[in-house]
Amino acid sequence: MKFTMLPRTFAQMFKKPFTNKFPAKYAPASVTGFLKAVGEGKAKMIPPVETPPNFRGKIQYDKESCIGCKLCIKVCPTGAIEFKPEDKKIKIYLARCCFCSQCNDICPKDSLSMSNEFLLADTDKYSKDLIVE
Amino acid sequence: MSKGKTKTSYQIPIGPIHPALKEPVQFNFEIEGEKIVDVDIKLGQVHRSIEWAATKRNPVQVLYLAERICGICSYCHPMAFTLATERVAKIEVPERAQYLRIIHQELERICSHVLWAGVAAHEIGFDTVLFLTWQIRETALDLTEYLCGNRITKGITMIGGVRRDITSDMLPYINEKLNLIKGSWEKLRKIFLEDKTFQLRSQGCGVLTKEDALKLCAVGPLARASGVKKDVRIDQPYFSFGDFDIEYMTPDIVTGEVNGDVYDRIIVRLLEVKQSVELIGESIDRMPEGEIVSEPKLVKLLNQLKKIEGEGIGRMEAPRGEVFHYVKYMNAESPYSWKVRAPTYSNVLPWIPMFMGEQIADIPIVAASTDPCMSCTNRVGIVKNGRQSYMTSEQLHHLSVKKTKELMK
Amino acid sequence: MTALKILTPDEIVQSYKGEFKNNILDARVEKYVNGLKKNEFFHIWIRIERSAYKDVVKHLFTFEKYPHFAVSSGYDLGDTVELVHHFSLYCGAKSRDISVSFTVSLPKNDLTIDTITDLIPGALISEQEKQEMLGIKVIGIPKDDRVFISEDFPECTYPWRRDETGPDKMVRNLHDEVKE
Repeated sequence: MKFTMLPRTFAQMFKKPFTNKFPAKYAPASVTGFLKAVGEGKAKMIPPVETPPNFRGKIQYDKESCIGCKLCIKVCPTGAIEFKPEDKKIKIYLARCCFCSQCNDICPKDSLSMSNEFLLADTDKYSKDLIVE
Repeated sequence: MSKGKTKTSYQIPIGPIHPALKEPVQFNFEIEGEKIVDVDIKLGQVHRSIEWAATKRNPVQVLYLAERICGICSYCHPMAFTLATERVAKIEVPERAQYLRIIHQELERICSHVLWAGVAAHEIGFDTVLFLTWQIRETALDLTEYLCGNRITKGITMIGGVRRDITSDMLPYINEKLNLIKGSWEKLRKIFLEDKTFQLRSQGCGVLTKEDALKLCAVGPLARASGVKKDVRIDQPYFSFGDFDIEYMTPDIVTGEVNGDVYDRIIVRLLEVKQSVELIGESIDRMPEGEIVSEPKLVKLLNQLKKIEGEGIGRMEAPRGEVFHYVKYMNAESPYSWKVRAPTYSNVLPWIPMFMGEQIADIPIVAASTDPCMSCTNRVGIVKNGRQSYMTSEQLHHLSVKKTKELMK
Repeated sequence: MTALKILTPDEIVQSYKGEFKNNILDARVEKYVNGLKKNEFFHIWIRIERSAYKDVVKHLFTFEKYPHFAVSSGYDLGDTVELVHHFSLYCGAKSRDISVSFTVSLPKNDLTIDTITDLIPGALISEQEKQEMLGIKVIGIPKDDRVFISEDFPECTYPWRRDETGPDKMVRNLHDEVKE
């Protein structure tokens, strides 16, 4: 056949688009304004595509069980973890984190875990949303 | 840059922004009319000193550094480093891990080749095919995400094995996705091999002869498309590739002859996608039970790696060809020396004979046919009579589309 | 691929020892076994004298018409710069492929080595890279400019060296600087 793509192209015209229009059908003029409206219940947000099981998202840190052994600092490939000597706990800079979950594997007390939160964009890399402690 | 050869010749620099390679690349083309008569290639506008950085990190940290050499080969670089390290440390990898490693490698190959097919279609102005390939790649990426946790940076490699197992409850999902890819592959094959547009633009274009491929040490699909039987999976069966009966994918399997042109490279890559899907299916069926990593205790592993001495090489067949890592340990926490050779490093010199005699409009598809993601080339500057004017990638792309249209008439 | 007979790794080492005698300083063969079917393949490591380097590479052509050149790697040992040249033989002969690596030691006061681009044109980029990364001089290299390091990088600083010509003085830790 000379034009093998034509039938598929026509068939596609009657199908639903594949793209998930997150967060809204049309891009909002101001994302923060839109999110505020969602919070007030004035607008509806289209949810993002679900993350798979065992997704590696934002790190969660259980401060109570941490014993301050510094093993996570030893394996962290980006140097995102800082030790706080005064209370023997750690501080994680998410702006540097590469989400490899290597610290989760080495932690002897299972104090660290990965959540499925991935919307972490920020203008300030030292903002409090991006620091876990 | 050499001066113009005749009065009519002029130069086109292409590049250097080119994020798909370890180094962005810049071409200087010597043009006579529409014909390319000479090429000069400059590499390394962004050298990131990754090899140096590794000498300041321990081997587990290097894994993630290696993963970031390339976004598409985010599995084969850490794995080649691991192979080299395991050979120095004499670590035995469990059989199950060897099979899991095959599955992840072939999955990466599917993603990369399908992505390439889309880029090649885009380069000649066939954007509807681009979206079809993206649909297939999305399926493959969903599967990657399901097996590894994330889509691009897999984080699956560990020295002595892999980090995540495939359990029996995951099999239905994997089989469903594999069947989807198989079905779409059939459609893709029809379009690429039977559609006239592809034949017009790719046959007889960017030819690399078998002798040139051998002399210039080309690797991967580029070499195989020229009839050179080079495939590390078969040459040196690392992992468990020796258990499978796999063949060198050369274009004569489909067409009965080897031309070494862009069309042949399309055939080789398409055949390899099918081969990879079959390999994944077979690996899942034949995978033995057992451990997935030889030393699950990371602290113990790190202490062991601190005490090793010696040198080793890791060779692997990445989607684009042979990736080669050399690593030397000298009783220290970090490797003493590390050399990374990505496949494109070897495939740069074969560009020169491929470009010779081609037209400007063929630059995108010929460059793309070695799979360096040349589509990301930012802009092209044309130096004519000493005055410099710039062509954006859109204009260059437009030129390529125009040529396709002219050929169709 | 070629009509030449495929030799075993021990035969290759013997052939080298017979041909180059005292120029072969050390040779070892490493065997790797993989998979349920216990497939094996070999890596050969040979340490040679610098003067014999080119002939050693030439000798590879008696085993195969087109030996595959992978890459050269190198490192600084303090008094010497070691170069490791990686080749492989018998591509296309299923599971018989052998990796051969030649280590050459160059004293710091005379960092020169012969080019092999006339034998294997594909080695050009790797030789250029060794020149700029380790500060050695490849004699007879057809193209003598930088490939990977940009033109504005300081002269006489070689990223892979560990002595005073190394890159350590150029290192900055951005993360620490920003925090302060």
